[in-house]
Amino acid sequence: MTTRTTPIRLTLSTLLLLAAASGAAQERPAADRLLKDADRARGGLATGITWTATVNATGDDASTSRTFLVKARGDDALVEALAPPRNKGEILLFNDRTIWFVKPGLRRPVSISARQRLHGDAANGDIASTNYARDYEGTIVGEETVAGQPVWKLELKARGRNVTYDRIRYWISKKGHLGVKAEFLTVGGDVFKTATFEYGNRARTPAGEFEFVSRMTITDATGAGTVTTISFGPPRVETHPPSMFNINNVVR
Amino acid sequence: MNAWRLAVRNLRRNRRRNAATLLAITLGYAGLVLFGGYIARIELFLRTNTVYLQHGGHVSVYAEGGLEGALARPARHSLDPAAQQRVLEAAAADPRVAFAARYMRGMGLAGNGCRTVPFVATGVEPEPFGRILRHPDVQYVSAEFARPVRGRPLPDASEVEGAVGVATGLARLLNKPRVHDEVRGVPVTLLPDCGTPEAGEQIAADANIQLAAVTFGGALSAIDGEIVNLFQTPSAETQDQTILTTLGTLQRLYETDAVTYVGVFLHDPGRAAAVAGDLAERLRAGGLRVDVYPFTDSRVSPHYVGAMGFLGSLLVFVGTLVTAVVILGVLNSVTLTVYERTREIGTFRALGWRRRQVAALFLREAVLLSLAGLVCGALLTLVVATAVNSANIRFQPPGIPGDIQLVLWPLPGVYATVALLLLPLASLVTWGVARRRVRGRTADLLTATAA
Repeated sequence: MTTRTTPIRLTLSTLLLLAAASGAAQERPAADRLLKDADRARGGLATGITWTATVNATGDDASTSRTFLVKARGDDALVEALAPPRNKGEILLFNDRTIWFVKPGLRRPVSISARQRLHGDAANGDIASTNYARDYEGTIVGEETVAGQPVWKLELKARGRNVTYDRIRYWISKKGHLGVKAEFLTVGGDVFKTATFEYGNRARTPAGEFEFVSRMTITDATGAGTVTTISFGPPRVETHPPSMFNINNVVR
Repeated sequence: MNAWRLAVRNLRRNRRRNAATLLAITLGYAGLVLFGGYIARIELFLRTNTVYLQHGGHVSVYAEGGLEGALARPARHSLDPAAQQRVLEAAAADPRVAFAARYMRGMGLAGNGCRTVPFVATGVEPEPFGRILRHPDVQYVSAEFARPVRGRPLPDASEVEGAVGVATGLARLLNKPRVHDEVRGVPVTLLPDCGTPEAGEQIAADANIQLAAVTFGGALSAIDGEIVNLFQTPSAETQDQTILTTLGTLQRLYETDAVTYVGVFLHDPGRAAAVAGDLAERLRAGGLRVDVYPFTDSRVSPHYVGAMGFLGSLLVFVGTLVTAVVILGVLNSVTLTVYERTREIGTFRALGWRRRQVAALFLREAVLLSLAGLVCGALLTLVVATAVNSANIRFQPPGIPGDIQLVLWPLPGVYATVALLLLPLASLVTWGVARRRVRGRTADLLTATAA
């Protein structure tokens, strides 16, 4: 039996294809929206949130561990070292884009960069709340599958110089809009470390629950063989006063 | 008649030509010796800076891979206390070694309460550093760089907690123009009003800075530093980033008892390669995995080796050019003289002189003329060098911050080397020309017309 293509059939097929294509285009979310959703699961909460982060670094035939208490509110974060005992009392204050390092006995706080390594391969900017939507210009460049789940692949380009990384390749899950993998690139485009994220925590707000990051595994991509994991404790949504993030209050 | 006296008499016969030749030799010799003296002075200046003021040592001993890897992975590529002890013992056992010192190199951020600037710091042991500052070579050629621009040298500030010397460029970036002795008793503003016009004054009012870095264990650390001096580095490239402090202070910042390398200082710099080889063999035989470098290795002293390679090429080029001009002048003069005196050569031959004797007469004349030129050249060199050195002419060599005095430093070795180059060449040329002429038949020589 042969199928005859009539002008009506052809027109209908074309219309159906166009409709499908139009539907697919509508499904692709805005990169900015994706980043905002992914940021929320990594601490970017307007009112306030608290969690602990334990950074374990392996490399150079030794393993080290440090624990921090992180209190975040919008663009600000107060990170206090809890362990080991010799580092207890050290504070990192993220005041918008300025980061202060305060150490007991130090006569003045030190203004440092988000890129400065905090411990192992974890940068200061990795441990506090993430605000990629503010700091990077994102573009969706494809769709892939990471760890069995469909994801959007984004290219992020720093909007300014005072951010943690120059360029990031970021994979955000289509379901839940969670950042599942990242590659951190130099200005020249070389990958110098990669990270994967797990979301075993849940944060509860009056508006409902959402998934929250529980582990970030950072692997050195330059051949040094070091692996750094940041384990995030259960988050507690609470209200932090803005004065908590004022450097004058922190140092006095 | 004595052949030498005859040669002297002959030299008087064509005074104008011989005076011109004498002048060519004099100027050529003086020029070469002065240029060689200038390069010798620059070599000593660069070597002194590389070995002493930049703390490289004549020989440096690193943990294996430490030269390339110590800054990035210090925990893996540094010398632990046991290794330091063995290196120091091996150095002390070598009679060619004057002294050895432990050093730490590291980088981080220097802060003034408002902003931070990257730094590269060297941690030094105060006692060996004092020896370095008193070393005759340092005092002679680099006293201006050894002496702080402001404040006290580090070895004299042992009572100051966290004493640091800061390069003037870095001090400018941090807005820290004053040193500890100038601001003693001035309270430190805990938090300057960054961004306000008053902040600059508040920051500049004291000599306190903060040094932040990642420790050997990989954690963020910071300590207070007190600026006890401002100094100029011997290289413009390092002027905006260099900090000099005690080994103990830097070890406290990096939370370690390791060091980056041991610098070994010799009595005779010429033995650096031999000492490096012997030290490496001895330490490796003892099971210590180290890399040992003499200061002439471009990997540890790229600026010194590169600059000397360039100056060496320049010396060869200019030396060849000047020597060629002088020798061509001698050749021209001798050729004219020999051809003018062809009948005289024939007469000597007719009187029974052997060819060799006649040629030797011309050779003696050339030797006397050259010797006179060398003596005059040596005197001229002394006069010019003395005049230039006492005129205190200042210039800025490439890559050096600030200016240094132009010093012409003709060494006895340079005088001898250039003399041993010019004299045989002038003699050889004369001998060649004369031998060629005296080979002719006596009858032809006697009847020859003037050249």
